[in-house]
Amino acid sequence: MEQKSSKKNSESEKEYSVIIKNLSVTYRTEPALWNIDLNFPKGQMIAIVGPNGAGKSTLIKAVMGLVPITAGKVSIFGKTYSKNRDKVAYVPQRGSVDWDFPTDALDVVEMGLYGKLGWFRRPNSKTRNLARECLDKVGLSNYADRQIGQLSGGQQQRVFLARALAQDAQIYLMDEPLNGVDVITEKTILSILENLKKEGKTIVMVHHELQTVDKYFDWVVMVNRNLIANGPIKEVFTKINLDRTYQEKQRMSI
Amino acid sequence: MKKPILVGTIVIVAILIGISAIFVQNNDDAKINHIESPDSYSEKIAITTTTNVITDLVENIGGDHVSVTGLMGPGVDPHLYRPSASDVKSLQNADIIFYNGLDLEGKMGDIFVKIGREGTSVLAVSENIPPESLLILDANGNFDPHIWWDVELWTEAAKVVATGLKEYDPNNSENYEKNLLEYLNQLDSLNSNNLNKINSIPSEQRVLVTAHDAFQYFGHTYGFEELAIQGWSTDSEAGIKEIQNLADEISKRKIKALFVETSISPATIEALKAAVQDKGHDIVIGGELFSDAIGEKGTAEGTYIGAFTHNIDTIVKALK
Amino acid sequence: MILEEILSIFLGIFTDYTLRYVALGSAILGITSGALGCFTVLRKQSLFGDAIAHAALPGIGFAYLFAGTKDSLVLMLGAAIFAWFGGMITLAITSTTRIKQDAALGITLSVFFGLGIVLLSYLQSIGGASQGGLDRFLFGQAAALIESDVINLGILSALCFTILILFYKEFKITTFDSSFGQSLGFPIKYLNVLLTSVIVVAVVIGLHTVGVVLMVSMLIAPAAAARQWTSNLKNMIILSAIFGGLSGIIGSMISSTAEGMSTGPVIVITITAILGISFVFSPKQGYLFKHLRNQRKSQISLDNIKTISDKEKENHGNI
Repeated sequence: MEQKSSKKNSESEKEYSVIIKNLSVTYRTEPALWNIDLNFPKGQMIAIVGPNGAGKSTLIKAVMGLVPITAGKVSIFGKTYSKNRDKVAYVPQRGSVDWDFPTDALDVVEMGLYGKLGWFRRPNSKTRNLARECLDKVGLSNYADRQIGQLSGGQQQRVFLARALAQDAQIYLMDEPLNGVDVITEKTILSILENLKKEGKTIVMVHHELQTVDKYFDWVVMVNRNLIANGPIKEVFTKINLDRTYQEKQRMSI
Repeated sequence: MKKPILVGTIVIVAILIGISAIFVQNNDDAKINHIESPDSYSEKIAITTTTNVITDLVENIGGDHVSVTGLMGPGVDPHLYRPSASDVKSLQNADIIFYNGLDLEGKMGDIFVKIGREGTSVLAVSENIPPESLLILDANGNFDPHIWWDVELWTEAAKVVATGLKEYDPNNSENYEKNLLEYLNQLDSLNSNNLNKINSIPSEQRVLVTAHDAFQYFGHTYGFEELAIQGWSTDSEAGIKEIQNLADEISKRKIKALFVETSISPATIEALKAAVQDKGHDIVIGGELFSDAIGEKGTAEGTYIGAFTHNIDTIVKALK
Repeated sequence: MILEEILSIFLGIFTDYTLRYVALGSAILGITSGALGCFTVLRKQSLFGDAIAHAALPGIGFAYLFAGTKDSLVLMLGAAIFAWFGGMITLAITSTTRIKQDAALGITLSVFFGLGIVLLSYLQSIGGASQGGLDRFLFGQAAALIESDVINLGILSALCFTILILFYKEFKITTFDSSFGQSLGFPIKYLNVLLTSVIVVAVVIGLHTVGVVLMVSMLIAPAAAARQWTSNLKNMIILSAIFGGLSGIIGSMISSTAEGMSTGPVIVITITAILGISFVFSPKQGYLFKHLRNQRKSQISLDNIKTISDKEKENHGNI
């Protein structure tokens, strides 16, 4: 069966915030992603699903140039990532950071503003206040001075979200933000993301839980090194596609 | 971008390792090259020595009959010297080995014992000096090994060399005896010259301040007091307290000059000088002395007599 | 009596030329390595500092070999170049081969240090005070510090702190969350090179006082000690610098009390003592207070259990 993709106008920049053409990423000799053609529609909640090692994290990292791209192109609102990076906010996996680092929640959120500060300028009262507002939005205003290692998993995740909010971006790339968080955190995060969606922002999330995909998301990308399926939930999130995605890891011939 | 940098750096490091290997090899070749010319192969005795002051001595007594390989060149510190693989080869190929003894060659004791067991003649030039004539320097009762700065003791060393050569090569005994007597004459002249020159230094100024305690025998012979930052071996550490104590002493006694040594880094002496000057006493570095080694072969200071004379002249000039 | 002695030694820092400059030079080292060491420790790259320090040794040898001078600045330049190379090679090995960082560090450390020792034995045989030149950088020779040396060290330290202040937030973000930093547009690779370079300068400062072999402890111990007392990066850096500086001064003072005491090792012992005290006595993380708190917690639990069981007995008694 052919992959279904709901591109109405192919590569229409008005509808898509991110356009990915023929993307391949190779780690040494292992292909992690192969021939991905994919567009992220604006103003939608997009889930990326797939088995372990399918290349989901690699996909969003490749969009940001955090991993070297072997082939293909990525454009953000028609321009390269480096020209439009202020339009993209990244929320990495919680485990990618050492939470024993001597800093507090407010400080981490403030780091989201370092990009806007640029070289040599130092954080000031303006950035502090902005950071405080973002902490407020995720419901952690009382935890501003808490050392991040003393926060719960859900609180840590919210701090990351607050940091992303501080960037005031158009596209949010998130890596498993709902993994291992408590119910309150999940509700808070989803409600914030809904609001962002209403403002026309694009939310892309690597999601780990298949049961909640159709509840939370509008669009799904199903990937297993190759792109298996990509489109609105109702059309694409089918048993056939799920089987194809979650079968034995695709073997690539080099 | 990364791989070329990695490769490039590895190549540079490999080249540097290669260069140093070549240097080491050349240097060792120069040392091993004690077979001078084909026709004299069977005639010359192969002798390996440690310090270059011993090399000089053996060459004076042995003359044309010997071919000497000295392991340590000018400016080499014998207290810390570790023999390389080619040094060990030189020692094994030698017919006779002459070393100082009294633990001067602090890191080489084992190797002399080992080679001695294999039958080679291994002789410490200090072996005939009676213990009463030796100076004790530290609390453990160790003897000071720097005997060569006492002309009379060096005379004993010359006799050991002569005896060793005569035993090995009795056919040339007369030659060795002749060389010995001639050399002893020269040493005698040296000693009287030294005494004359030293007389011009007032007694309060007869203090020798150096980096390590190499001049006790010199001091004993010529009436000098020796003050040093480090002990008799450069293996010991130069500490803050030593420098402080010396700085106090020197400025109190208004000593005119400090001396650096050719085989030791001048850093500690410079530090001592700065400390003394800070106390308001104007002190200078009087010059460079030969302590554990004599000068470059072929120069005036490249012989024992030349180096000793240089030392005396330098000291006299600075302190009188 | 002992107090008088301590006081007189302390005054000596101001009055005595030798002690003044040794203490000052050691303090400069301690402050600089303390501050920068925070980053190596937080990046879990403490042994990286060790590899860099050992890599400096052949640099000193080659500097002497090619420049023929024992001038302190020339030797330090040679040390810096090779230490930097050592750092870059380690980074390159980890990023271009499958070799993990600990193996890469081991390789760099042993190869460079071995090269340094080979050079040392070569130089000892050509002489010219070379032995004194190299050996003293193995464990340092703090007693030989004079005013001009300390001025040089001060300049190098000022350079390190200037860079630290200018790039503080960049260093912070690359240490805490480098991929996030990269997504913001900060060139992580270049920042790593910059941080390595500043650490090289710190190592060069340390060559005089503690030497190549012990330098790593000055990068690790003050930072580890400071971490016990604070959870704020800025405070940690300041405290670490203070601990490092203190250990330099105290170590110098102690080593000036007896003959033949090497200053470098005494400094290292001092900072280790500070570390030990921090481990035991710091209020939040220290062993002592944790132990007391656990005891109190157990006590509270026991009391609760007793109260409950008493109540149960009461209830049953009443029935």
